[in-house]
Amino acid sequence: MIDVEKEAARIAEQGESAPRLARDPVNLPMINNWLEAIGDQHPGYTEVAPPAMVQVWTMAGLHGQRTLDDPLGAMMKILDEAGFTSVVATNSDQTYHRYLKVGEHVSVTTSLEDVTGPKKTALGEGWFVTTRSTWYVGDEPVAEMRFRVLKFRPAEKPAPRPEVPKAQAIRPAINRDTEYFWEGCRNEELRIQRCGGCGLLRHPPGPMCPECGATKPKYLVSDGRGVVYSYVVHHHPQVPGKQTPFVIALVELDEGVRMLGELEGEPSIGLPVEVVFTKVDEELTMPSWRPRADR
Amino acid sequence: MNAAIAGIGATDFSKDSGRSELQLAAEAARAALDDAGLEPSDVDGLVSFTMDTNAEIAVARELGIPELTFFSRVHYGGGAACATVQQAAMAVETGMAKVVVCYRAFNERSGHRFGQVQTAAAANIDNSWSYPMGLGTPAAMVAMFARRYMHEYGATSEDFGRIAVVDRKHAATNPHAWFHNRPITLDDHQASRWISEPLRLLDCCQETDGGVALVVTSAERARDLPNKPAHVKAATQGSGADQFTMTSYYRDDLTRLPEMGVVARGLWERSGIGPSDVDVAVLYDHFTPFVLVQLEELGFCGRGEAKDFVASGALELDGSLPLNPHGGQLGEAYLHGMNGIAEAVRQVRGTAVNQVANVEHVLVTAGTGVPTSGLVLGQSP
Amino acid sequence: MRIGDSLPEWHVEATPTFVISTALATRDFQDVHHDRDLAIQRGSKDIFINILTTTGLVQRYVTDWAGPEALVRQVNIRLGAPCYAYDTLKFFGQVIEREEQDLTIEVVGRTDHGDHVTGTVKIEVPA
Repeated sequence: MIDVEKEAARIAEQGESAPRLARDPVNLPMINNWLEAIGDQHPGYTEVAPPAMVQVWTMAGLHGQRTLDDPLGAMMKILDEAGFTSVVATNSDQTYHRYLKVGEHVSVTTSLEDVTGPKKTALGEGWFVTTRSTWYVGDEPVAEMRFRVLKFRPAEKPAPRPEVPKAQAIRPAINRDTEYFWEGCRNEELRIQRCGGCGLLRHPPGPMCPECGATKPKYLVSDGRGVVYSYVVHHHPQVPGKQTPFVIALVELDEGVRMLGELEGEPSIGLPVEVVFTKVDEELTMPSWRPRADR
Repeated sequence: MNAAIAGIGATDFSKDSGRSELQLAAEAARAALDDAGLEPSDVDGLVSFTMDTNAEIAVARELGIPELTFFSRVHYGGGAACATVQQAAMAVETGMAKVVVCYRAFNERSGHRFGQVQTAAAANIDNSWSYPMGLGTPAAMVAMFARRYMHEYGATSEDFGRIAVVDRKHAATNPHAWFHNRPITLDDHQASRWISEPLRLLDCCQETDGGVALVVTSAERARDLPNKPAHVKAATQGSGADQFTMTSYYRDDLTRLPEMGVVARGLWERSGIGPSDVDVAVLYDHFTPFVLVQLEELGFCGRGEAKDFVASGALELDGSLPLNPHGGQLGEAYLHGMNGIAEAVRQVRGTAVNQVANVEHVLVTAGTGVPTSGLVLGQSP
Repeated sequence: MRIGDSLPEWHVEATPTFVISTALATRDFQDVHHDRDLAIQRGSKDIFINILTTTGLVQRYVTDWAGPEALVRQVNIRLGAPCYAYDTLKFFGQVIEREEQDLTIEVVGRTDHGDHVTGTVKIEVPA
């Protein structure tokens, strides 16, 4: 058994690796290649380099190899041996003390900051490995980076995903009591149940009128106008078929019943809204709300 | 009622129990029986939630309970908590059973998480008016009520946050709590991310793996057992007009919880005590806004006044109405309200870690926004 | 530039040419960023954008909005779903903190597979 924590402590104790000098000094041709590829038309990079390029200067290159005292490499090797064979980067936090000038020649050192685990993640069980790199010009630190990777043992089988793909909306259950509503939506009519006995308007609908006991529900077609009675702005978790954040409003229709639906636009209580219909497919059209133009 | 809670038991509360839900149920039930000084062979009744995945017969097999004469389930999620004790007490009082174990166990964090959108739940006709529109989590459903409550009474996110702060303060000194030693400030609450506006992360209870069980028997029998009995002075269920599960949006007033009003009336009537006689309140706290509404429904303050009542410090351990001394579900663990009943029993016994002085009566409520239930436990029958 | 101000939404078409030219311009020669056959062999759907490019795009998104006078002090990012060739990477941003001339901007870069990058950029703007 490899004691990961002990090995990590040993590597951390070694402190910073020896400074590794960039292949080239900060130079305009590489800056221009970078600007061209990223598509950045910032006019200021003629004497200084874009700060986000700092790591570029000290990349190992096409045939690069890790140096022997590189703590990230050493830690990766230990975790490989412990069976955590896959890796994914999770965080990169860069701080720029100043912009680098053309002609300056940077070097970089790296130390192991932290190894935590084993943790269960969606990808599998693994360890989070955090390193800290510092870039120097001479003795002056010019930039720093905390970099974190997850070194994990791939889950045997992919985690079960009972939910439908995000792109697919949640569909309503429809039965003989509610079919008239969804049929209405397909025809771009917002239908409200109306009791065939006493005329009670009711939403959500049901088979027996709670006022008169009649079991002959009919419906009327609403003009689809009302005001927001309450609302939420939903952020977490993800909802299939929706892009967070989004607004769901409880609307009080002019006819007096309330109904839920997504609202496009800035919500507020009392906001006048009207219904819009969005066709999902041949069977399903969803009603939702938008602010009224005449408000 | 002629019934008392004579034993309480729980597993550890964790985020990944590493065992089956049946094992958690069996461990909690055995711990509760040990606490009561009873054997599995003494048990002839079992009660749980319809949401529990552990069949009564499976629990009976694991414990070695030979025969059952009473088994029952209560519906509506966390609203079932206190009603399991009501079922058990009624069975004991009517002679349908002599010793009843109420249990709830789940891997709610590592297994099926209620906080995620349950697409399959849209197959329910009632849910078809909310889920397909994007309203598919308990937090979002409560947020819809909370927004209207804020609008009508001028309550703010900070007013909700004070509930989280007091729960976490109490949890901080409870070694069994998940958030032991981890209190929060109102600033922490205000800095926590939106889940479903106006609810922030710290307005929402945690998710837990674990199990809790309670042993209910007659008052006479409880007297002869090792621990001081927590007498069931009243146990009621409540459902209101035009009731839905979490989405009762079609009533005139969205700032109330009428089903909790039904429970409150029943509890005060049957126990013969009133709000001013309550020494400790264990209120269901899956989401902070509904704690405010409960304070109003139960008669601790007037409509819309809960924010001032809370800000006055009333809910502190030395306040007029100490709230959730174990830390509640925001601080200790989310066990669908059953851990709150266990805390109420400890407060009556005088053995809680954050013990309130001279406790005569403890009020416990179950899940809010759903048909629910409540209990008054006390020193005497 | 006030707290709550939103940055205009920005879309980056991650064509294979874009993925490869940015990988090379950042001196990242790992095969998964330029060789589709090897990327697929390693379990990826396609070649995907490298981290240094993501960092560069986040910086560009903020400086395009803040103007060339703004100085970038920090780029902190958390990486999520890969951004594959042929994906559209959509950036959203909002000012979440301001103390005098120091601003913190929250940035999210999202593809159809989910959040590719979430993070914050700290900049200093002229008085």
